[in-house]
Amino acid sequence: MDKPLCPVHSTILYLSDQLDSGKLKDPKSRRISEHILRLIEEISNGHADKEHLHAIDELIEEYHHDKEAADSVGLEIGKHLREVLTKDHETFQSHLETGNCASMDCIRLAPSPCQMACPAGIDIPTYLSLIGEGKDAEAIEVIRHDNPLPWVCGLVCTRPCELMCVRARIDTPVSIKFLKAFAAEKAMSLGQYKNPPQEPLNGKKVCVIGAGPAGLSASYYLALMGYQVRIIESLPVPGGMLMVGIPRYRLPREVIDREVAMIESLGVEICYNTRFGKDVTLDSLRKEGFEAFFIAIGAHKSYTLGIEGEDTYKGKGVIDSVEFLRRVALGDRRVPGRRVVIIGGGNVAIDAARTSLRLGAESVTIAYRRTRSEMPADIEEIEHAEEEGVEFSFLTIPTAVDGDGKKTTGLKCLRAELIRKEDSDRLYPVPVEGSDYIMEADAIISAIGQFVDVEGLEAFTGIKWTRRGTIEVKHTCMETSEDGVFAAGDAVTGPATVIEAIGGGKRAAEAIDRYFNKMPQPRIPKVPVRYRREKSIEMPASTKMALKRPEMPMLNIERRRIMFQQAELGYTENMVREEARRCLRCDICRRCGKCIDVCRDKMGIGALKFGYMDFDHPVETDFRKTSETCITCGACAANCPNEAIVIEEKNGERILKLCGTILNRQKLLYCESCNAVLGPAKYLDYVKDKTVGVAKVLDQKRTLCGACLRKKGAF
Amino acid sequence: MEFRKGQKIEVFQKSKDEAWEPYMDEFIGVHGMITDPDTIINDSDALIEVSLEGVGTYRLPQDCLRLIK
Repeated sequence: MDKPLCPVHSTILYLSDQLDSGKLKDPKSRRISEHILRLIEEISNGHADKEHLHAIDELIEEYHHDKEAADSVGLEIGKHLREVLTKDHETFQSHLETGNCASMDCIRLAPSPCQMACPAGIDIPTYLSLIGEGKDAEAIEVIRHDNPLPWVCGLVCTRPCELMCVRARIDTPVSIKFLKAFAAEKAMSLGQYKNPPQEPLNGKKVCVIGAGPAGLSASYYLALMGYQVRIIESLPVPGGMLMVGIPRYRLPREVIDREVAMIESLGVEICYNTRFGKDVTLDSLRKEGFEAFFIAIGAHKSYTLGIEGEDTYKGKGVIDSVEFLRRVALGDRRVPGRRVVIIGGGNVAIDAARTSLRLGAESVTIAYRRTRSEMPADIEEIEHAEEEGVEFSFLTIPTAVDGDGKKTTGLKCLRAELIRKEDSDRLYPVPVEGSDYIMEADAIISAIGQFVDVEGLEAFTGIKWTRRGTIEVKHTCMETSEDGVFAAGDAVTGPATVIEAIGGGKRAAEAIDRYFNKMPQPRIPKVPVRYRREKSIEMPASTKMALKRPEMPMLNIERRRIMFQQAELGYTENMVREEARRCLRCDICRRCGKCIDVCRDKMGIGALKFGYMDFDHPVETDFRKTSETCITCGACAANCPNEAIVIEEKNGERILKLCGTILNRQKLLYCESCNAVLGPAKYLDYVKDKTVGVAKVLDQKRTLCGACLRKKGAF
Repeated sequence: MEFRKGQKIEVFQKSKDEAWEPYMDEFIGVHGMITDPDTIINDSDALIEVSLEGVGTYRLPQDCLRLIK
């Protein structure tokens, strides 16, 4: 008899079926059902609090609220839910209190490490599987459940997913970012990059301040939910820092334009060259009917160096990196100077340096206070800059800007040495006395960090600011301390990553929807959602181990020095399909280790060399070694709680597979008398060894099943 | 402590920083990896992005983190 399903999980299935069946046509009943589904999903994930059951009770009452006009399908659902909640109240309560599902039905959809690592919670194993099968448009559809800018992220994401990728414990992480870029480009190119169906307009208006990644993300999800969204943007272009902070050789403008156009096609209105607090005010927007506000203004102000001569030569050779990159992005292609010095060691400094080089600067030097190993910029970015000819001056402390009264002529510097202070293991740069010298420069670009420009936000009198100068929010819902006002992106985190901003925007959209529907906000961050359980791609263990992460083909170095053409040329189709197959499908194998334990401890075999299962201390993994000692007994498969490791008999063979990887295949032997399956020879030998002295050996010469042996013995 | 991308860490204590929210108490004892250590200025006071195993990715103050060997 089948094990009964967890009532929490079966209620999710029931409601999803009702919503998908098309029978539930009444908009009110659909809305109630969707809200209940969302609350029950949170109970299933272990991320709800005691208010959730109360909120569900109240929502069920709403089905019956107006008996005269009530929809019969809705009433039926309400009745069913009432019965389930009464009958299985304790199970629901247990999920709330422990965050666990005793039957493990709810854990079955536990997200993989890469999905958990993604700040937007993208269902990575599912879309990698789809890309592996050549279904790029479907992959993009899956990604856009959680991230409306897959192409952008495919080119510039900082990819926390790859750092947590379990495959990295075996060799190198799956190249998740580049596969996403390939699929987005392909889907867009073939006209298969589509928006999902949109809810009808609900008559509610939300104002988004800032058309950067957070603002675009929130707008997309709000528009899909039926909200009328207007974005107020001070720049003449969309994208925020994507457009004016990231140089075109990393992120071509067309990529942003095309993805923004998809969002605009949902009815999102973007008002360019419009500064909040100046061109439009909070009062005027409220009068227009905007009831909720989402602040996503980014962090566009640069810190100043605070050195002598900086103010004197501002605009005469001294420029901040944010302004410099913005000017170039908006079309000013004048070289900042013949000899350019950039101060800073982060990604922005690298971007400013590589941009200066492309504009025609003869020499570009990055001056950094510490050494190469302390540089906070990404190692790939540093290497690309070095390849292109950017020079680095480490242990350099700028002290003053030198000039002839009209323009900058150099940067006065001191050499530094790194000193470890008492009670600290950080190394601090300390100037070396008498080591002052001048670096010749006619352009000095400061890139030492950015902060949030608060100008114009004074009207939001209820929001609080952190000591870091960012907007204080509850990160679970991005709600500020002012009613109806939400915020995300760099305005909340300080300068951070694109994917964090996108994730924050999505969370804010969900919270704004809850705000309008008077639903409680989540207590702790939502667990990412798994959308599908795609079939694993079958391949031999030797192939799984032999596949290697491909190198990214780059534009030739001569062009990279002089053109803004995209430097990374992208993977070929063959590279992409092969790379997707390296995924270990951690959405299916949750690395509980039960298979290893039973094989080693109960069966005494120890055939499974899955050293990658341990996060802290991974040891050797070799899928090929399983076949050396495995007897295909199936104990591992029988003990797998998630059907990750399976055993099957096909074409005269018994095959053991882990998420599609064929670990072992052995020829089956059959009873010579009745043709019943006996198992592979190795397995039969194992059984014989274990039963020697217990069972009497009746016939050593013929291969017979137990029943036939007994029959034979009876005569 | 200066954190670098890809280092394994443990959330070993509550932070005294205002950025620490009550739900983060459940992170104590969880292991993870530095995913974005502050790519701008290498500031010991900056919130840094960490991905915690089985928990998710968050920006946390540095005083609650320690390296695991």
